[in-house]
Amino acid sequence: MTTLSTPRQDSTNRTRKSALRDGSSRSGGTRATVRRRADGRFVLACLLPALVLFIVFMIVPTVNVFRMSLYTWSGFSPDLRFVGLDNFSRLLDDEQFVRAFQNTVALLIVVTVVTMGMALFLAAIMTRQRLRGRNLYRFVLYIPNVLSVVVIAAIFSAVYDQENGLLNGTLRLLSLDGLQQVWLGDQKIVLYSVAIAMVWQSLGYYMVLYMAGMASIPEELYEASALDGASATRQFFSLTLPLIWQSLRTTLTFFVMSAVNLSFVLVRAMTGGGPDGSSEVLLSYMYKQAYTNSSYGYGMAIGVVIFAFSFLVSLLVSRATRREPLQF
Amino acid sequence: MKEATHTALLVTARTLVAAVCLALVVTARTTVGWGSLLTMLAGLAGLLALLAAYNRRFR
Repeated sequence: MTTLSTPRQDSTNRTRKSALRDGSSRSGGTRATVRRRADGRFVLACLLPALVLFIVFMIVPTVNVFRMSLYTWSGFSPDLRFVGLDNFSRLLDDEQFVRAFQNTVALLIVVTVVTMGMALFLAAIMTRQRLRGRNLYRFVLYIPNVLSVVVIAAIFSAVYDQENGLLNGTLRLLSLDGLQQVWLGDQKIVLYSVAIAMVWQSLGYYMVLYMAGMASIPEELYEASALDGASATRQFFSLTLPLIWQSLRTTLTFFVMSAVNLSFVLVRAMTGGGPDGSSEVLLSYMYKQAYTNSSYGYGMAIGVVIFAFSFLVSLLVSRATRREPLQF
Repeated sequence: MKEATHTALLVTARTLVAAVCLALVVTARTTVGWGSLLTMLAGLAGLLALLAAYNRRFR
Protein backbone atom coordinates (compact mmCIF):
# COMPACT_ATOMS: atom_id res chain seq x y z
CA MET A 1 0.00 0.00 0.00
CA THR A 2 2.71 2.30 1.08
CA THR A 3 4.55 1.50 -2.06
CA LEU A 4 1.44 2.13 -4.07
CA SER A 5 0.31 5.22 -2.20
CA THR A 6 3.63 6.99 -2.38
CA PRO A 7 3.63 7.26 -6.14
CA ARG A 8 0.04 8.51 -5.99
CA GLN A 9 1.09 11.26 -3.57
CA ASP A 10 4.10 11.91 -5.75
CA SER A 11 1.98 12.12 -8.84
CA THR A 12 -0.45 14.48 -7.03
CA ASN A 13 2.46 16.65 -5.96
CA ARG A 14 3.85 16.56 -9.46
CA THR A 15 0.47 17.57 -10.89
CA ARG A 16 0.25 20.42 -8.39
CA LYS A 17 3.76 21.53 -9.16
CA SER A 18 3.19 21.39 -12.89
CA ALA A 19 -0.08 23.28 -12.46
CA LEU A 20 1.75 25.94 -10.45
CA ARG A 21 4.51 26.01 -13.04
CA ASP A 22 1.93 26.29 -15.82
CA GLY A 23 0.21 29.09 -13.99
CA SER A 24 3.42 30.99 -13.39
CA SER A 25 4.58 30.43 -16.98
CA ARG A 26 1.20 31.53 -18.27
CA SER A 27 1.34 34.70 -16.20
CA GLY A 28 5.01 35.10 -17.21
CA GLY A 29 4.00 34.67 -20.85
CA THR A 30 1.23 37.25 -20.49
CA ARG A 31 3.69 39.63 -18.84
CA ALA A 32 6.15 39.10 -21.70
CA THR A 33 3.41 39.72 -24.27
CA VAL A 34 2.34 42.91 -22.48
CA ARG A 35 5.94 44.05 -22.29
CA ARG A 36 6.50 43.23 -25.96
CA ARG A 37 3.42 45.25 -26.89
CA ALA A 38 4.60 48.17 -24.76
CA ASP A 39 8.01 47.98 -26.42
CA GLY A 40 6.35 47.92 -29.82
CA ARG A 41 4.28 50.99 -28.94
CA PHE A 42 7.42 52.80 -27.70
CA VAL A 43 9.33 51.97 -30.90
CA LEU A 44 6.36 53.12 -32.97
CA ALA A 45 6.15 56.37 -31.01
CA CYS A 46 9.88 56.96 -31.60
CA LEU A 47 9.57 56.21 -35.31
CA LEU A 48 6.39 58.18 -35.85
CA PRO A 49 7.89 61.70 -36.27
CA ALA A 50 10.43 60.45 -38.82
CA LEU A 51 7.78 58.38 -40.55
CA VAL A 52 5.41 61.36 -40.80
CA LEU A 53 8.19 63.58 -42.16
CA PHE A 54 9.18 60.89 -44.66
CA ILE A 55 5.61 60.48 -45.87
CA VAL A 56 4.92 64.23 -46.05
CA PHE A 57 8.18 65.24 -47.73
CA MET A 58 9.09 62.15 -49.76
CA ILE A 59 6.16 59.88 -50.52
CA VAL A 60 3.46 62.53 -51.06
CA PRO A 61 5.56 64.72 -53.43
CA THR A 62 6.71 61.67 -55.41
CA VAL A 63 3.14 60.42 -55.79
CA ASN A 64 2.14 63.98 -56.74
CA VAL A 65 4.74 64.08 -59.50
CA PHE A 66 3.21 60.93 -60.99
CA ARG A 67 -0.32 62.27 -60.54
CA MET A 68 0.40 65.72 -61.97
CA SER A 69 2.03 64.22 -65.04
CA LEU A 70 -1.48 63.17 -66.10
CA TYR A 71 -2.82 66.73 -66.00
CA THR A 72 -2.29 70.03 -67.78
CA TRP A 73 -1.86 72.91 -65.38
CA SER A 74 -0.20 76.28 -65.70
CA GLY A 75 1.06 76.17 -62.14
CA PHE A 76 -0.98 79.11 -60.86
CA SER A 77 -4.55 78.95 -62.19
CA PRO A 78 -7.22 76.78 -60.56
CA ASP A 79 -7.88 75.06 -63.93
CA LEU A 80 -6.59 71.53 -63.77
CA ARG A 81 -7.47 69.28 -66.71
CA PHE A 82 -6.96 65.54 -66.83
CA VAL A 83 -5.27 64.55 -70.10
CA GLY A 84 -4.15 61.00 -69.38
CA LEU A 85 -0.88 60.09 -71.08
CA ASP A 86 -0.95 63.07 -73.48
CA ASN A 87 2.03 64.70 -71.76
CA PHE A 88 4.07 61.55 -72.36
CA SER A 89 3.07 61.31 -76.02
CA ARG A 90 4.07 64.96 -76.43
CA LEU A 91 7.54 64.02 -75.19
CA LEU A 92 8.01 61.74 -78.19
CA ASP A 93 7.78 64.69 -80.60
CA ASP A 94 9.80 67.12 -78.50
CA GLU A 95 13.26 67.44 -80.01
CA GLN A 96 14.52 69.59 -77.13
CA PHE A 97 13.57 66.84 -74.69
CA VAL A 98 15.52 64.28 -76.73
CA ARG A 99 18.53 66.58 -76.80
CA ALA A 100 18.32 67.11 -73.03
CA PHE A 101 18.08 63.35 -72.55
CA GLN A 102 21.13 62.78 -74.76
CA ASN A 103 23.11 65.41 -72.85
CA THR A 104 22.13 63.83 -69.53
CA VAL A 105 23.21 60.37 -70.68
CA ALA A 106 26.49 61.73 -72.08
CA LEU A 107 27.29 63.61 -68.86
CA LEU A 108 26.32 60.64 -66.74
CA ILE A 109 28.64 58.28 -68.58
CA VAL A 110 31.60 60.55 -69.29
CA VAL A 111 31.67 62.18 -65.85
CA THR A 112 31.20 58.88 -64.01
CA VAL A 113 33.93 57.08 -65.94
CA VAL A 114 36.43 59.96 -65.66
CA THR A 115 35.68 60.79 -62.01
CA MET A 116 35.72 57.22 -60.75
CA GLY A 117 38.81 56.32 -62.80
CA MET A 118 40.77 59.36 -61.69
CA ALA A 119 39.64 59.08 -58.07
CA LEU A 120 40.77 55.45 -57.91
CA PHE A 121 44.07 56.20 -59.62
CA LEU A 122 44.87 59.20 -57.40
CA ALA A 123 43.78 57.38 -54.24
CA ALA A 124 46.04 54.42 -55.12
CA ILE A 125 48.99 56.71 -55.76
CA MET A 126 48.46 58.71 -52.58
CA THR A 127 48.04 55.59 -50.44
CA ARG A 128 50.65 53.27 -51.89
CA GLN A 129 53.35 55.68 -53.07
CA ARG A 130 55.19 57.68 -50.46
CA LEU A 131 54.55 61.02 -52.14
CA ARG A 132 56.04 64.08 -50.51
CA GLY A 133 53.31 66.52 -49.48
CA ARG A 134 50.49 64.09 -50.15
CA ASN A 135 48.39 65.64 -47.39
CA LEU A 136 48.60 68.95 -49.21
CA TYR A 137 47.46 67.31 -52.48
CA ARG A 138 44.62 65.64 -50.63
CA PHE A 139 43.59 68.97 -49.11
CA VAL A 140 43.81 70.81 -52.44
CA LEU A 141 41.79 68.12 -54.23
CA TYR A 142 39.16 68.05 -51.49
CA ILE A 143 38.57 71.85 -51.42
CA PRO A 144 36.08 71.88 -54.37
CA ASN A 145 33.79 69.62 -52.41
CA VAL A 146 33.55 72.13 -49.60
CA LEU A 147 32.67 74.94 -51.98
CA SER A 148 29.12 75.60 -53.05
CA VAL A 149 28.29 74.39 -56.56
CA VAL A 150 27.29 77.95 -57.52
CA VAL A 151 30.72 79.19 -56.45
CA ILE A 152 32.30 76.47 -58.59
CA ALA A 153 30.13 77.57 -61.50
CA ALA A 154 31.33 81.16 -60.99
CA ILE A 155 34.99 80.02 -60.84
CA PHE A 156 34.66 78.02 -64.06
CA SER A 157 32.76 80.81 -65.80
CA ALA A 158 35.77 83.01 -65.02
CA VAL A 159 38.22 80.32 -66.17
CA TYR A 160 36.33 79.81 -69.45
CA ASP A 161 35.83 83.55 -70.13
CA GLN A 162 36.48 84.22 -73.80
CA GLU A 163 38.56 87.40 -73.42
CA ASN A 164 40.05 87.44 -69.93
CA GLY A 165 39.63 83.82 -68.90
CA LEU A 166 42.46 81.79 -67.41
CA LEU A 167 42.28 79.14 -70.12
CA ASN A 168 42.33 81.39 -73.18
CA GLY A 169 44.80 83.72 -71.44
CA THR A 170 47.23 80.85 -70.85
CA LEU A 171 46.86 79.66 -74.44
CA ARG A 172 47.57 83.20 -75.67
CA LEU A 173 50.61 83.38 -73.39
CA LEU A 174 51.93 80.14 -74.86
CA SER A 175 51.33 81.48 -78.39
CA LEU A 176 48.70 78.80 -78.96
CA ASP A 177 46.09 81.27 -80.17
CA GLY A 178 44.64 78.71 -82.58
CA LEU A 179 43.52 76.54 -79.67
CA GLN A 180 41.48 79.32 -78.08
CA GLN A 181 37.79 78.54 -77.89
CA VAL A 182 34.53 80.09 -76.81
CA TRP A 183 34.30 77.41 -74.13
CA LEU A 184 30.75 78.15 -73.00
CA GLY A 185 29.50 79.52 -76.31
CA ASP A 186 30.39 76.75 -78.75
CA GLN A 187 27.60 74.20 -79.16
CA LYS A 188 30.08 71.39 -79.77
CA ILE A 189 32.17 71.80 -76.64
CA VAL A 190 29.94 73.51 -74.09
CA LEU A 191 28.77 70.22 -72.54
CA TYR A 192 32.34 69.04 -72.03
CA SER A 193 33.22 72.35 -70.39
CA VAL A 194 30.43 71.65 -67.89
CA ALA A 195 31.65 68.05 -67.55
CA ILE A 196 35.14 69.25 -66.54
CA ALA A 197 33.59 71.40 -63.79
CA MET A 198 31.59 68.40 -62.59
CA VAL A 199 34.68 66.19 -62.46
CA TRP A 200 36.64 68.88 -60.61
CA GLN A 201 33.85 69.25 -58.07
CA SER A 202 33.45 65.57 -57.21
CA LEU A 203 36.94 64.13 -57.70
CA GLY A 204 38.33 65.01 -54.25
CA TYR A 205 35.40 63.59 -52.34
CA TYR A 206 35.56 60.18 -53.99
CA MET A 207 39.35 60.14 -53.81
CA VAL A 208 39.24 60.66 -50.04
CA LEU A 209 36.59 57.93 -49.69
CA TYR A 210 38.73 55.44 -51.62
CA MET A 211 41.83 56.46 -49.69
CA ALA A 212 40.05 55.66 -46.45
CA GLY A 213 39.11 52.24 -47.83
CA MET A 214 42.64 51.56 -49.07
CA ALA A 215 44.23 52.66 -45.80
CA SER A 216 42.33 49.94 -43.95
CA ILE A 217 43.86 47.14 -46.04
CA PRO A 218 46.55 45.36 -43.98
CA GLU A 219 50.11 46.07 -45.14
CA GLU A 220 51.01 42.37 -44.77
CA LEU A 221 48.85 41.52 -47.78
CA TYR A 222 50.89 43.86 -49.96
CA GLU A 223 54.14 42.54 -48.51
CA ALA A 224 53.09 38.94 -49.19
CA SER A 225 52.04 39.75 -52.76
CA ALA A 226 55.31 41.65 -53.34
CA LEU A 227 57.22 38.57 -52.17
CA ASP A 228 55.26 36.55 -54.72
CA GLY A 229 56.48 38.98 -57.37
CA ALA A 230 53.30 41.02 -57.92
CA SER A 231 53.82 44.40 -59.57
CA ALA A 232 52.07 47.58 -58.38
CA THR A 233 49.47 47.24 -61.17
CA ARG A 234 48.84 43.60 -60.28
CA GLN A 235 48.49 44.53 -56.61
CA PHE A 236 45.99 47.22 -57.51
CA PHE A 237 43.75 44.96 -59.60
CA SER A 238 44.07 41.78 -57.54
CA LEU A 239 44.27 43.19 -54.03
CA THR A 240 43.21 46.80 -53.69
CA LEU A 241 40.22 46.77 -56.02
CA PRO A 242 38.55 43.60 -54.61
CA LEU A 243 39.10 44.77 -51.03
CA ILE A 244 37.50 48.19 -51.55
CA TRP A 245 34.80 46.85 -53.84
CA GLN A 246 31.95 47.49 -51.39
CA SER A 247 32.72 51.19 -51.08
CA LEU A 248 33.30 51.39 -54.84
CA ARG A 249 29.91 49.82 -55.42
CA THR A 250 28.12 52.17 -53.05
CA THR A 251 29.79 55.29 -54.42
CA LEU A 252 29.08 54.26 -58.00
CA THR A 253 25.38 53.81 -57.27
CA PHE A 254 25.17 57.14 -55.46
CA PHE A 255 27.19 58.95 -58.08
CA VAL A 256 24.74 58.02 -60.82
CA MET A 257 21.99 59.83 -58.94
CA SER A 258 24.11 62.76 -57.78
CA ALA A 259 25.51 63.33 -61.31
CA VAL A 260 21.98 63.95 -62.59
CA ASN A 261 21.36 66.49 -59.81
CA LEU A 262 24.77 68.14 -60.03
CA SER A 263 24.49 68.60 -63.78
CA PHE A 264 21.30 70.62 -63.26
CA VAL A 265 22.86 73.08 -60.83
CA LEU A 266 26.02 73.58 -62.90
CA VAL A 267 24.15 73.94 -66.19
CA ARG A 268 21.71 76.37 -64.61
CA ALA A 269 24.49 78.50 -63.12
CA MET A 270 27.02 78.30 -65.98
CA THR A 271 25.08 78.24 -69.25
CA GLY A 272 21.35 78.31 -68.49
CA GLY A 273 21.04 75.43 -70.96
CA GLY A 274 22.51 77.43 -73.87
CA PRO A 275 23.70 78.18 -76.43
CA ASP A 276 20.47 77.26 -78.18
CA GLY A 277 19.71 74.43 -75.74
CA SER A 278 22.92 72.55 -76.53
CA SER A 279 23.85 72.10 -72.85
CA GLU A 280 20.31 71.49 -71.64
CA VAL A 281 19.95 68.50 -69.31
CA LEU A 282 16.74 66.73 -68.29
CA LEU A 283 16.37 68.43 -64.91
CA SER A 284 16.99 71.93 -66.28
CA TYR A 285 14.51 71.26 -69.08
CA MET A 286 11.96 70.02 -66.56
CA TYR A 287 12.50 73.13 -64.45
CA LYS A 288 12.04 75.36 -67.50
CA GLN A 289 8.84 73.65 -68.56
CA ALA A 290 7.33 73.54 -65.07
CA TYR A 291 8.27 76.97 -63.74
CA THR A 292 9.15 79.20 -66.72
CA ASN A 293 6.94 77.84 -69.48
CA SER A 294 3.97 77.32 -67.13
CA SER A 295 3.54 73.71 -68.33
CA TYR A 296 3.58 72.09 -64.94
CA GLY A 297 2.01 68.80 -66.03
CA TYR A 298 4.44 68.45 -68.93
CA GLY A 299 7.33 69.22 -66.58
CA MET A 300 6.13 66.51 -64.23
CA ALA A 301 6.01 64.04 -67.12
CA ILE A 302 9.69 64.82 -67.70
CA GLY A 303 10.18 64.32 -63.94
CA VAL A 304 8.68 60.84 -64.20
CA VAL A 305 11.09 60.00 -67.02
CA ILE A 306 14.04 61.27 -64.92
CA PHE A 307 12.85 59.23 -61.93
CA ALA A 308 12.46 56.07 -63.99
CA PHE A 309 15.80 56.53 -65.74
CA SER A 310 17.80 57.26 -62.55
CA PHE A 311 16.11 54.42 -60.72
CA LEU A 312 16.76 51.96 -63.52
CA VAL A 313 20.41 52.92 -63.98
CA SER A 314 21.07 52.80 -60.22
CA LEU A 315 19.39 49.41 -60.00
CA LEU A 316 21.42 48.04 -62.92
CA VAL A 317 24.67 49.40 -61.48
CA SER A 318 23.83 47.88 -58.11
CA ARG A 319 23.02 44.50 -59.70
CA ALA A 320 26.08 44.52 -61.97
CA THR A 321 28.46 45.21 -59.08
CA ARG A 322 26.94 42.88 -56.47
CA ARG A 323 29.37 40.39 -54.90
CA GLU A 324 30.15 38.69 -51.59
CA PRO A 325 32.07 41.05 -49.28
CA LEU A 326 35.64 39.92 -48.64
CA GLN A 327 36.82 39.57 -45.05
CA PHE A 328 40.35 40.55 -44.12
CA MET B 1 46.97 29.07 -74.72
CA LYS B 2 48.92 30.20 -71.69
CA GLU B 3 46.92 31.68 -68.83
CA ALA B 4 48.92 34.92 -68.92
CA THR B 5 48.23 35.34 -72.65
CA HIS B 6 44.55 34.57 -72.09
CA THR B 7 44.35 37.20 -69.34
CA ALA B 8 46.17 39.77 -71.45
CA LEU B 9 43.81 39.15 -74.37
CA LEU B 10 40.77 39.38 -72.10
CA VAL B 11 41.95 42.67 -70.61
CA THR B 12 42.69 44.09 -74.06
CA ALA B 13 39.30 43.00 -75.39
CA ARG B 14 37.50 44.52 -72.42
CA THR B 15 39.41 47.79 -72.73
CA LEU B 16 38.57 47.94 -76.43
CA VAL B 17 34.87 47.27 -75.81
CA ALA B 18 34.82 49.97 -73.12
CA ALA B 19 36.51 52.44 -75.47
CA VAL B 20 34.05 51.61 -78.25
CA CYS B 21 31.06 52.08 -75.89
CA LEU B 22 32.43 55.42 -74.73
CA ALA B 23 33.11 56.53 -78.30
CA LEU B 24 29.58 55.48 -79.24
CA VAL B 25 28.14 57.72 -76.55
CA VAL B 26 30.30 60.71 -77.48
CA THR B 27 29.75 60.46 -81.25
CA ALA B 28 26.02 59.72 -81.08
CA ARG B 29 25.47 62.86 -79.03
CA THR B 30 26.35 65.08 -82.00
CA THR B 31 23.09 64.13 -83.76
CA VAL B 32 19.77 64.88 -82.09
CA GLY B 33 17.11 62.17 -82.40
CA TRP B 34 15.63 59.06 -80.87
CA GLY B 35 17.95 56.83 -82.89
CA SER B 36 21.02 58.59 -81.50
CA LEU B 37 19.59 58.43 -78.00
CA LEU B 38 19.06 54.69 -78.36
CA THR B 39 22.63 54.33 -79.60
CA MET B 40 23.84 56.18 -76.51
CA LEU B 41 21.74 53.96 -74.26
CA ALA B 42 23.21 50.94 -76.03
CA GLY B 43 26.66 52.31 -75.16
CA LEU B 44 25.58 52.65 -71.53
CA ALA B 45 24.19 49.10 -71.57
CA GLY B 46 27.49 47.88 -73.04
CA LEU B 47 29.47 49.49 -70.23
CA LEU B 48 27.17 47.99 -67.61
CA ALA B 49 27.42 44.57 -69.25
CA LEU B 50 31.19 44.88 -69.19
CA LEU B 51 31.09 45.74 -65.50
CA ALA B 52 28.83 42.76 -64.81
CA ALA B 53 31.11 40.45 -66.82
CA TYR B 54 34.16 41.63 -64.86
CA ASN B 55 32.33 41.18 -61.59
CA ARG B 56 30.85 37.76 -62.39
CA ARG B 57 33.88 35.73 -61.33
CA PHE B 58 33.91 37.41 -57.90
CA ARG B 59 30.30 36.57 -57.05
